[in-house]
Amino acid sequence: MYGFEAMTFNIHGGYLEAIVRGHRSGLLTAADYNNLCQCETLDDIKMHLSATEYGPYLQNEPSPLHTTTIVEKCTLKLVDEYKHMLCQATEPLSTFLEYITYGHMIDNVVLIVTGTLHERDVQELLEKCHPLGMFDSIATLAVAQNMRELYRLVLVDTPLAPYFSECITSEDLDDMNIEIMRNTLYKAYLEDFYRFCQKLGGATAEIMSDLLAFEADRRAVNITINSIGTELTREDRRKLYSSFGLLYPYGHEELAICEDIDQVRGVMEKYPPYQPIFSKLSYGESQMLDKAFYEEEVKRLCLSFEQQFHYGVFFAYMRLREQEIRNLMWISECVAQNQKSRVHDSVVFIF
Amino acid sequence: MLELEKKDKEGWISIIAYDRRNTSVEYIDNRRGMKFSMAEEKEAANTQVSELSTTDLKEKDENTLNFLDSVDNYLILIESLTSTLRQGWLELASARHSMGGSRVNTSLLTLKHHSAATKVEVNYDNGGSITKSPQLTLCKWASSDKKDSSFEDENIDNKESTKESNGSETTASPIKTENHLQKERGKVLSMFGALVSPKLRASQLSFETALDTLVEIANVRSSILETHHALLQHKVKPTKSTEE
Repeated sequence: MYGFEAMTFNIHGGYLEAIVRGHRSGLLTAADYNNLCQCETLDDIKMHLSATEYGPYLQNEPSPLHTTTIVEKCTLKLVDEYKHMLCQATEPLSTFLEYITYGHMIDNVVLIVTGTLHERDVQELLEKCHPLGMFDSIATLAVAQNMRELYRLVLVDTPLAPYFSECITSEDLDDMNIEIMRNTLYKAYLEDFYRFCQKLGGATAEIMSDLLAFEADRRAVNITINSIGTELTREDRRKLYSSFGLLYPYGHEELAICEDIDQVRGVMEKYPPYQPIFSKLSYGESQMLDKAFYEEEVKRLCLSFEQQFHYGVFFAYMRLREQEIRNLMWISECVAQNQKSRVHDSVVFIF
Repeated sequence: MLELEKKDKEGWISIIAYDRRNTSVEYIDNRRGMKFSMAEEKEAANTQVSELSTTDLKEKDENTLNFLDSVDNYLILIESLTSTLRQGWLELASARHSMGGSRVNTSLLTLKHHSAATKVEVNYDNGGSITKSPQLTLCKWASSDKKDSSFEDENIDNKESTKESNGSETTASPIKTENHLQKERGKVLSMFGALVSPKLRASQLSFETALDTLVEIANVRSSILETHHALLQHKVKPTKSTEE
């Protein structure tokens, strides 16, 4: 019953909520980002990060550093924290935490399948996979020729199995089919996660509904913009949108027929929560749209910490850490390419 | 007027008359069997020398100007290339930031055998000139797999367009070319997925522009070498004539 979580939540979730709130206080601040933005080399970045929680993960890395190394080590920290929380969690929190990683699992599956299609070595592909999305039989994906085999040989025993019902065909895998598979899987995953959170009820359902609806709407906009000028038909585009969110169903109908960024803007400005995002962009521009969406997401994620006794804080923390890693990746790239004037194009401050 | 007869060692020249007032000397050149005055010959020789100098100077100036123009072009193109490449790399990083590292990385580049999307043609036709350097031309998005089909399509389209009015004919071909270019660009980018971010497309355009600039730079460099060679030849000519 909503409002009575305070009575029972701490029995099973109190310790982990305290842990995650402690982790949250370790997120980089605006002062940290200002110091990092003034670095001249990647070694300077490593030196500044040594004073943060990333210190132990980067200290043994030899020079010269590479941007991918920094991202890899920072991701390892996130993975360690996640694994600690997962092994301490009981049901239903453990299922909730596993749901958070299914997106990475989908990305890894698509990476292996695409790389195999391009005749790349499986070991090389496995090294590029996100550690949060790994599962035991992932290497076996390389033997599948079509989606039916993919499902039958490998994915039937993974958490992604229920999401495959909508995209099983015997067609050979090619770039377009793989892209449609990726987006169909992600759509099914988001809808399943949404239903799970609704079943949990209470503050978790309320907060997670808002966050997942925003995710679904953002994906709809990105799919629309990315498919402009491609061979994806309007009908196929419409099928990739999730069946929930603020834009469902009328916004999706309008987005499906958009042919340029200005038409997308016209659709989105009708929805008050998204009107400020698109008002920041000039006509015909889509470069700053990602940053605007990330800023809105960070705002909503930070707000979830204002309430207690719900699982939304775990989801919010994981997403905030991922945003932090994206920030570090961008700062490192700008420093490595000697383009420090462009650093603030994509850095999103969390606090 | 003083008249003298003088032969040089080889016995070829005889001085006939020497007029102090206008310092002209009239003589017979036995070698050529000609009689003329020194003043005329000198004037003729001077005129001949000055005619040669003017032409030579003009050519030299032209070559120098061409050389300096080429060097100026070269420097401008180098700067343009640097800025285009910087922009391209940053846009690629931006695409990775937007799409994620797992969607934009080197392990997705295809190792399957495929023909080059862009080729460089070297034109050795130098118009008979030994010194003229070869010209490079970029043939973009000319995949040999699609060549025949696209050529056939063009023939069919040409036949259809002759039946249409002139106005529509002129607008039809640029649109078709643009569509073809878009398709070819999309085909290359599809190794990163069918639905990629506009930032990745922008990065592709930047690198495409950089490729155009590189070919221009190669052509300008050959022009620099050509004009430099011409200038060196001019430098050699005067030393030979002074020795004579």
